[in-house]
Amino acid sequence: MAIQLAAVAGLLAGLLAGLLAGLLAGFFAGLFAGLFSICWVQAVMSMHWSGWQRHRGALLGPGLLALVLSPALIAPWLPLADPTLTEPALRMLPVAAPGHWLGTDALGRDLLSRLIWGARSSILVGVLATLTAAVIGSLIGLLAGFFGRLTDALLMRGVDVLMAFPYLLLALAIVAALGPGLSNAMLAIAIANVPFFARAVRGAVLEIRHQAYIDAARLAGHREPWIIVVEVLPNLVPTLLLLMTTTLGWMVLETAGLSFLGLGVQPPDADLGAMLGEGREFLTTYPRVAVLPGMVILMLVVGINLFGDALRDLLDPRLHDRAVRRKDRAKDRGEGSEKGSEEGSDRGSERGSVKGSISDALQDVSHRDDCHQGAFADAAIRNGSSLFAALAHTDASAVAAGNAVADGLALKSVDQSYDQHADAWANVSGRLGTASQPALLEVNALSVLVPGQCGPAIAVDRLELRLQAGERVGLVGESGSGKSLTALALLGFAPPGGGLEGAVRFDGNELLGLDAESLRDLRGRRIAYIPQEPLDALDPLLRIGDQLRGAIQAHLVAQQASFESTARDRAKAVAGSDADAGSSANVGLGSKRLTGASAGVSKPETLSDVGARVKALLAMVGLDQVRGIQRRFPHELSGGQRQRVVIAMALAHEPDLLIADEATTALDVTVQAEIIEVLDRLSRSRDRALLFVSHDLALVASLCERVLVLYAGRLVEDAPLEQLLRAPAHPYTAALLACSPELGRPEKPLAAIPGQPPAPRVVGLNGAADGFGGCRFADRCPNAQPRCEEQEPGLERWQDHHWVRCWFPLLRSD
Amino acid sequence: MSAYVLKRLLLLLPVLFGVSLVVFGVMSLVPGDPALAILGPYATPERLAELRAELGLDRRWPVRYGIWLSGVLDGDLGRSVSLERPVLDVVLERLGPTALLAGSALLLGTLLGLAAGMLAALRHNQMTDRLVTFGVLLGISIPSFWLGLVLILVFAVWLGWLPASGMTWVWSDASGLSAVPDIAWHLILPTLSLALVAGGVIGRLTRGAAIDVLASAPIRMARARGIPERRILLVQALKSVLARMTPVIGLQAGFVIGGAVYIETIFQWPGLGRLLVEAIAARDLLLVQGGVLVLAAAYVLVNLVADLAQHALDRRTRAA
Repeated sequence: MAIQLAAVAGLLAGLLAGLLAGLLAGFFAGLFAGLFSICWVQAVMSMHWSGWQRHRGALLGPGLLALVLSPALIAPWLPLADPTLTEPALRMLPVAAPGHWLGTDALGRDLLSRLIWGARSSILVGVLATLTAAVIGSLIGLLAGFFGRLTDALLMRGVDVLMAFPYLLLALAIVAALGPGLSNAMLAIAIANVPFFARAVRGAVLEIRHQAYIDAARLAGHREPWIIVVEVLPNLVPTLLLLMTTTLGWMVLETAGLSFLGLGVQPPDADLGAMLGEGREFLTTYPRVAVLPGMVILMLVVGINLFGDALRDLLDPRLHDRAVRRKDRAKDRGEGSEKGSEEGSDRGSERGSVKGSISDALQDVSHRDDCHQGAFADAAIRNGSSLFAALAHTDASAVAAGNAVADGLALKSVDQSYDQHADAWANVSGRLGTASQPALLEVNALSVLVPGQCGPAIAVDRLELRLQAGERVGLVGESGSGKSLTALALLGFAPPGGGLEGAVRFDGNELLGLDAESLRDLRGRRIAYIPQEPLDALDPLLRIGDQLRGAIQAHLVAQQASFESTARDRAKAVAGSDADAGSSANVGLGSKRLTGASAGVSKPETLSDVGARVKALLAMVGLDQVRGIQRRFPHELSGGQRQRVVIAMALAHEPDLLIADEATTALDVTVQAEIIEVLDRLSRSRDRALLFVSHDLALVASLCERVLVLYAGRLVEDAPLEQLLRAPAHPYTAALLACSPELGRPEKPLAAIPGQPPAPRVVGLNGAADGFGGCRFADRCPNAQPRCEEQEPGLERWQDHHWVRCWFPLLRSD
Repeated sequence: MSAYVLKRLLLLLPVLFGVSLVVFGVMSLVPGDPALAILGPYATPERLAELRAELGLDRRWPVRYGIWLSGVLDGDLGRSVSLERPVLDVVLERLGPTALLAGSALLLGTLLGLAAGMLAALRHNQMTDRLVTFGVLLGISIPSFWLGLVLILVFAVWLGWLPASGMTWVWSDASGLSAVPDIAWHLILPTLSLALVAGGVIGRLTRGAAIDVLASAPIRMARARGIPERRILLVQALKSVLARMTPVIGLQAGFVIGGAVYIETIFQWPGLGRLLVEAIAARDLLLVQGGVLVLAAAYVLVNLVADLAQHALDRRTRAA
């Protein structure tokens, strides 16, 4: 403790001087560098962003700032009248009076001159107050964050107390004690803002403190002060810059406010706030004297705040995620029609969204260098196009031009994938074509595009899948193989910022591109989804009973089943035009089935039945014995109980298709077994299909009769369970099997597949739609031959009902 | 009463103690002789000596603080030099109008801010969103003291629709309930000046919170369950946004109270804020001290209410 106190005292003195000088230089350097970079980025954006209008506001920031700042900065050299020179004979001259462009005030002082000098004073006071608050606040935050424990507790309690004051009141009390005046007002505002900086800096320091390089510095024998100055401070600079810019506007407002009250800048000095206060007396007769200074303050603060927003967007690492999340909503097909203005609302919008993703991705490239430059260079060589080469040295015009090229590329490559698909279809339809029974779910060439740093990447590539009612199928693969994306795509959800391609026919009707209401009607009623993390699936703020009731009320039978009706309308439309004979036949088939199905609907759910239904569902998943479960919140349940609730909600409408996406992964092993038992029991129905998505072959084996293996977005094997376990044909499946631990054989070493699965590739890279030349498993495959690198194998029949995508399938090992 | 409420109530004590310490400490920043500063240059030597003894100026500061605090706890905040009345009486008299103004401004600002923020989040990246975003930016950038003047100029001076100052008409002798319409009429402009600024901050943060909430897993899962969008928005999303925003709204009370200092001055509203400015001008230090102490305590209580409201919305919140 004594050492800490000594360090605190020593540091206080040393750092104050260093910080002040450093911050001053850093702030101004940062301010101007930021200004220029933002202008530059804005220029780039405006060149090619379709929605560039939305960023005109950000340009406004530097513009307003420059408008107010530049005359204020060079005020001493401007041919202005003395702002404090009073000439009673010339009082209240009107605008455009000779020699006084904006007229004069009550004492005959030139208003323009006073505005410019006043702006100068307001900015200076605001900046100084910000700097003072930043220096004191960051010192406190630094010490609290770095030393922790008692130092932290004491300092932060003090900060808490300062925060317990209504904002301006503390400043007022300080001014009252010290007496009015410029420096006192500045100090008061600064102190009132110290808590803000202290907290933010402490948070940032806590984050930095746990980084490996700090430990490394400690291990290297450096002392705490050295670490703070050399390792921590430089990493705080972006945070501090951001904090100061975002507070500056507020500080300008508040210091002007104190001057307005007559507690800050004293007459006759020109200050915007003081001018406003003096002009108040003449508000009714000469409003301009009070209104003009306020407008200048407004312009100044709007400029600073816009600038701060732009800076935050640039510096905040979370922004990228957020941008992606935004698109998630926009692209969500459930909202397709609402977002129509931007995304288009029908099937044709798919290309629009791909286009959007590409230009957004290019956008990222233009101001981010974390995108792999080598990949671009490589691509440029292979494409023989200048697009990516131009991007490698981000040039505004090249980006604009490249955008157009990229659009063309994307469209072309998508078409190409359809062509390829058409060739492959004959082959694949052999696998899927069991014409005896119409499929419940039929997925044709489903591709899922995800936003990559360099453009939309294909995460699931032309997946073919067919599910019959009553079938239980496992979808396995490593994490990142595209399993979950596939599962969500079957509900019509595109990944955030990505898109869906291909066709998903559910019960004979196309699901992709449906309008929001039809999709809503389908989800939860006919296709239910159980996600991995039950905490995410349940709303933390709603009681279990309310959530169950909500799920039931979502689809009361009394309501129109619009999925079927829309589909029927569509079928009519398609049948009417003889555009695509195959698809109309397909839809016709489906609607026949539908009429049969809707006749058989026996889920009598009106509002009054809901309570009974909730109880029945809880009993179904074995939760009826848990007391007061309906009144509880999700966080009051165990993980297993939560997942049971989620399953109950999924089964609320006896769905035809149940998709369980790693439904047991987040649970511990014993609970996992219980949940599997529940799933097993509830999925054993002739009318229901189960798609069980998992990375765990052992779990799949306990539930499913057929297994699909996904590798790097590509279906590589499709086989009946027994056969897959006994004699996997794809080396990847074999490797997966070898990785499964065997009960009762603890001595068996746990195998791991060497290497990593390839990341999804950007659309159009390598000139191939999928971005891959050969087999995706080739570089990890023990049996790889030169051919594997060059050409991708098709999905071929290996044995009855056993299909594999491999040039050299494994022969039976036994 | 749950454990959370108890814990949160107990946490009030150290905060209030800290606040009193700061208020006391700030007043000891006064340069020179506090007794002289309080009584002014025309005080008699006897009165000065008396006050010095009263404040315990000859003793160490912990003792002085103890004397002062025990006085505060007894409701003795000293005597106002400028008004020649007990500070507590004056402060309590002025607290009502300030509470009315700040409360109505916070209410209006919250409604405006929540509505604007939710709307912007729902229409994310569309024209409405951009308009709201810009409006909200104007709200946080506008000097409230200037906005007040402009509102007076437009609505009182030019249009003559609304009164520009005071809480009631000077000629009005209405009291009790009959004064309500009169007061409400006078409340409009000052409330607007404060609410537009508070609404800006709330709207800005609501928009961010709502964008996050609308993209969150529980909302997405509700969509996967086919729950109607209207229900998702009005039940689930709104509750999540409110749970996140209540502490922010509580903090905003502090900005409204601070802003009331300007607005009360401009509109001649007979509240504590204007009293403080007058007291500072008159160097009436005890009055400033008392006013700040009472307003700070009120603010602490508002935040207590906000925290309790948040806990009612989200049971996972814990007392720090």
